[in-house]
Amino acid sequence: MTREELLSKKPLHVLEKIRENLERLNEKMEVMIELQKHGRQDSQPLTDAPLDVMTLLSMPDHLRKTAMTICRCGRATAEEVSQQTSRARAVESAYLNQLVIMGYLKKERKGRKAYFYADRDSQG
Amino acid sequence: MSKIVAVHSYKGGTGKTLLSVNLAATFAKHGKKVCLFDLDFRAPSLFAILKVENADYWLNDYLNGKCGIDKVLVDLSSIIPGDGKFFAALADPSTEAIREMSAKDRKWEMRALGRLLSLRNTLLNDKEFDYLVFDTSPGLQYSSINAIVTADFVVVATTLDRSDVDGTRRMLRELYNLFEKKTGLVMNKVLDPTSKSKRDEMDARVKNVYQVPMLGLVPCFCEVLRAEGNLIFAQDKPNHPFTKILDEMANKIDANDVN
Repeated sequence: MTREELLSKKPLHVLEKIRENLERLNEKMEVMIELQKHGRQDSQPLTDAPLDVMTLLSMPDHLRKTAMTICRCGRATAEEVSQQTSRARAVESAYLNQLVIMGYLKKERKGRKAYFYADRDSQG
Repeated sequence: MSKIVAVHSYKGGTGKTLLSVNLAATFAKHGKKVCLFDLDFRAPSLFAILKVENADYWLNDYLNGKCGIDKVLVDLSSIIPGDGKFFAALADPSTEAIREMSAKDRKWEMRALGRLLSLRNTLLNDKEFDYLVFDTSPGLQYSSINAIVTADFVVVATTLDRSDVDGTRRMLRELYNLFEKKTGLVMNKVLDPTSKSKRDEMDARVKNVYQVPMLGLVPCFCEVLRAEGNLIFAQDKPNHPFTKILDEMANKIDANDVN
């Protein structure tokens, strides 16, 4: 690799890192906003709540759409959900984090990506 | 395109089972690979209609996580004319099983939904089934709503009975719409439907009252009652008007032409 190539890679790498950190910050802020909405002091999510069809039925429309997509896919990132719902990734990310706080979904980080899923097996 | 079709209704006795069995048989007669599911765990009936005396595994076992779906499927292709494939997944009719299924909690129902949803992979994608037809329990209860959420298309069976109309309308608005389900209405047990003006009137009425497209209009056939559940029309009476209506319905669903 030439010196020029190395130099051109470095800023890209730094930018990528900045973007990654901004995304995490954004997610943390979304969680904080949701917690505040629910008037909760601690940052612990609610205990596991089953994402069954009656729960899906009683959800507000915007959350049901997101939750249904996770039900169908099993496990997905905000990006993948947004492709199915045709809504913005940031919007889906906010809804998904809201569903995690409500206890309906679980979130797992793998490298840069955050995966959301309904934990069907560990419950009960 | 392969699909999951749920047959549902607000009230019992609207003809769900008759429609499910015959619709599945019609798809098979048209050369498709079909599996019919008995999701009416409170009152299982397909084992009797399809004359399956005993099964090693029931659909209950699959939903309980005791076995894979392949163990549950019963191959009944020989009863259907032509090259199509006709399978059934039956609900356990024993009183003990009915009692056990009616006592399930929300977490179990959530897992059952997961197992129904995964049929899309195991049966439609891997085993190359063209159609899964779900016969459900009437009204709003877990097993039926799980089936509706899993399905691509919902056939709603209804009659002109006053006790059925309002509930069906509400169910369409407050259940299928919320899950964004494509729906087709089958008006069953219609008296004197032969005149064109009567058919047009019914069509307009369905669009006006229910705000969903009409999939089919089924006259009140005495032969259906006389058969006492012993007939699969697609198989036994190829020239009966009901068989022709079923052919049309199957073609409409197949062509995605329900408007």
